[in-house]
Amino acid sequence: MSGNTERDPMLEMYIFESNQLLEQLEQVILSSEKSIVSEESINEIFRIMHTIKGNSAMMLFNNIATLAHALEDLFDFLRQGEFKDVDSEKLIDRVFSVVDFIKGELFKIEDEKEADADPEVLMQHIKEYLLDLKENNTEGETNHEKKQSNYPEKQQYYISSSKSSGNKIEKHIQDICINYKAVIYFEEACQMENMRAYTVVRSINEIAMNVQFIPADILENDKSSEVIKKEGFTLLFKTDVSEEALDKIFQNTVFLKEYELMRLPNECDIYTYKPKLEILLEDSSLELQEVNTKCNDFNSSASSKMTKQSSINVKVNKLDMLMDLVGELVISEAMVTQNPELQGLNLDNFNKAARQLHKITNDLQDVVMSIRMVPLSLTFQKMNRLVRDMSKKINKEVELKIIGEETEVDKNIIENISDPLMHLIRNAMDHGIESSEKRVQNHKPKKGKIILQAKNSGGDVLIIVKDDGQGLSKEKIINKAFEKGLIDKEPKEMTDKEIYSLIFLPGFSTNEEITEYSGRGVGMDVVTKNIERIKGKISVDSIAGQGTTITIKIPLTLAIIEGMIISVGGSTYTIPIVSIRESFRPKEEEIIVDLQGNEMILIRGQSYPIVRIHERYHVNTKIKKISEGILIMVECDEGSICIFADTLLGEQQVVVKPLPKYVNASKSLSGCTLLGDGSISLILDVAGLIYEYKQKGRDDE
Amino acid sequence: MKRIMVVDDAAFMRMSLKMMLEKNGYQVVGEAENGKVAVQKAKKLNPDIITMDITMPEMDGITALKTLKEVGCKSKIIIISALGQESHVREAMILGANNFIVKPYKEPHVMEILSKL
Repeated sequence: MSGNTERDPMLEMYIFESNQLLEQLEQVILSSEKSIVSEESINEIFRIMHTIKGNSAMMLFNNIATLAHALEDLFDFLRQGEFKDVDSEKLIDRVFSVVDFIKGELFKIEDEKEADADPEVLMQHIKEYLLDLKENNTEGETNHEKKQSNYPEKQQYYISSSKSSGNKIEKHIQDICINYKAVIYFEEACQMENMRAYTVVRSINEIAMNVQFIPADILENDKSSEVIKKEGFTLLFKTDVSEEALDKIFQNTVFLKEYELMRLPNECDIYTYKPKLEILLEDSSLELQEVNTKCNDFNSSASSKMTKQSSINVKVNKLDMLMDLVGELVISEAMVTQNPELQGLNLDNFNKAARQLHKITNDLQDVVMSIRMVPLSLTFQKMNRLVRDMSKKINKEVELKIIGEETEVDKNIIENISDPLMHLIRNAMDHGIESSEKRVQNHKPKKGKIILQAKNSGGDVLIIVKDDGQGLSKEKIINKAFEKGLIDKEPKEMTDKEIYSLIFLPGFSTNEEITEYSGRGVGMDVVTKNIERIKGKISVDSIAGQGTTITIKIPLTLAIIEGMIISVGGSTYTIPIVSIRESFRPKEEEIIVDLQGNEMILIRGQSYPIVRIHERYHVNTKIKKISEGILIMVECDEGSICIFADTLLGEQQVVVKPLPKYVNASKSLSGCTLLGDGSISLILDVAGLIYEYKQKGRDDE
Repeated sequence: MKRIMVVDDAAFMRMSLKMMLEKNGYQVVGEAENGKVAVQKAKKLNPDIITMDITMPEMDGITALKTLKEVGCKSKIIIISALGQESHVREAMILGANNFIVKPYKEPHVMEILSKL
């Protein structure tokens, strides 16, 4: 588990959610990019920006908050009108630049640096765009206005005048009532004073009659808060409630700074008192305030389409822990059911129970694995954006075709695959795809094409990046490799694949020019390293003039595999079941030995080399005669070999553990595992063994 | 102890409010990420107070408030609004929201509003 430095949980949540929102935002845009920005996505973007603004303001990241606010305003404007000629290309650029800005700031925050970038330029762009929009869409503007002017008719609310009006004892109360005037002042931090005042009106209304107030337009006019700020909020009412009770009510007002309460002359009815007040009150009759409010159903039906599956977010390290535990469980299960002490006993019931246990651990493991599985679609969609941005910058028309984005891989893989993929696509665009003119000259479609594909293949996932560009030049690669001293072999002896693989070596870059996007010379080997970290393999294929295909092969699951346990001498080894084709007991006469002393076996007309494990790993064993042991035929892309071992011990699920550092890392071991009896078994890396054998064969020649 | 339900589509906001409320001796009995969920949960939890964000997917805070009032929900409702949403606040207050908080809020202000409900 990665060492997690403890951070303020609020900050962590802030970063997490912001990133999630940005991802969501990119998704919305990319899915709507081809069409004109839809109402649905405008609403969604508005909401996302609104949330980011709110969150950032709470965390006092003001630059993010103001920028998000600017974009929110823009989208607020957009969703209120119907605009015909929205320059969506430009709009999307604006949004993306905001996304990039915020991402950059989040990155800084995560690094515990100051988020201090100045959003002024971006703000300016957004404001200009909004201005353009307002000017160019006079039609939209009127539309907008129409909507606004529409709303007074829509719905009306009344503040009911005093509760007791119409009451039969009203007359009596009237007599004992006292007229009051109250002036209320609010604190400076109050905000929306008019609405705060409204809460006072509401509570006074509960206990008083003939309530009137100045300014009278607190509900219709937000500017009235300015008046209240300066002059206070004045209330006139008639009540029989004691002054202490009134004091309680006023004191209970939120953000109250101070208030004055005075009695008005008793005989002086409010009706008659009215003319003495300023003109403001003049036309406000006893019917009190009639309030028109826009009943805004901005939650349009469109958004309900975007129902989300109910899900929860889980920290990856918790999943890692769960995975580890399941791994331990698998080992313990083997320890119990294959306990040496049980050998030779007649255990019908035990075996039945053990089978049940095995089934459940198996299911559990499947479920845990599937929790960690995430479709590649998000990662792939990101590439869309990359291609889009880059084709503009380097002025090449390129189309990205995505196939099989629904393919699922381990979360761990998703995290590590994004950078390499980005690099490969950049390379393809920069170096692979030719300029439009050159493409036309070579009778190719003007628009370049990159295919990004994912598919399952046995226990692996293949991710393929294929372009229809100029292909790799073997000559250039060889020259370059010599220049940098990266090869020590005669190029004539190298296969095409080997030559192409040179580009993955550290310090290799064939393009003389270094561009903004690729070719900094550190590229390809970083890709290789990233891929190796997730136990993946990368290979290139290329046809000059027709394009390059890069294939990344990643094991589907990293932690638990089906293994065949074999024994050699006193040790046990594990071979992943997926790479085993068959196993059989050979006959002495089937073996052919070549001039170098290499053993081979002829099966169905084809010869397969034999690799003796006891020789390879220098293990002492009594079984050296080929007819006494067993041959296991294993295969990978590169070919097949037969592994010679003493005997097969059985099939078992094993938990792959990395080799400890002090064990000299060997190409043909992919890890180790703990068996049921507590012993350690080394896991053979079949592809490594085959590669090794081929190397050896070439060296012999 | 007052039982509160926090409604906001931003998990960050829910968390920040929850932490603040619990620190000050309120009990957060439920959270909802949109108005729809809020209406469902309010029925079940019957909280004393609901804090209600305005801009949310599925169902916004205003509609949720309206619905809650229609079904006779007794909970006191505090609208959480951002700056610049005056018209929504007004609408909410008229619809019967008990009070409102403006984001970004400060702890003493929120506490004052809650204590004066």
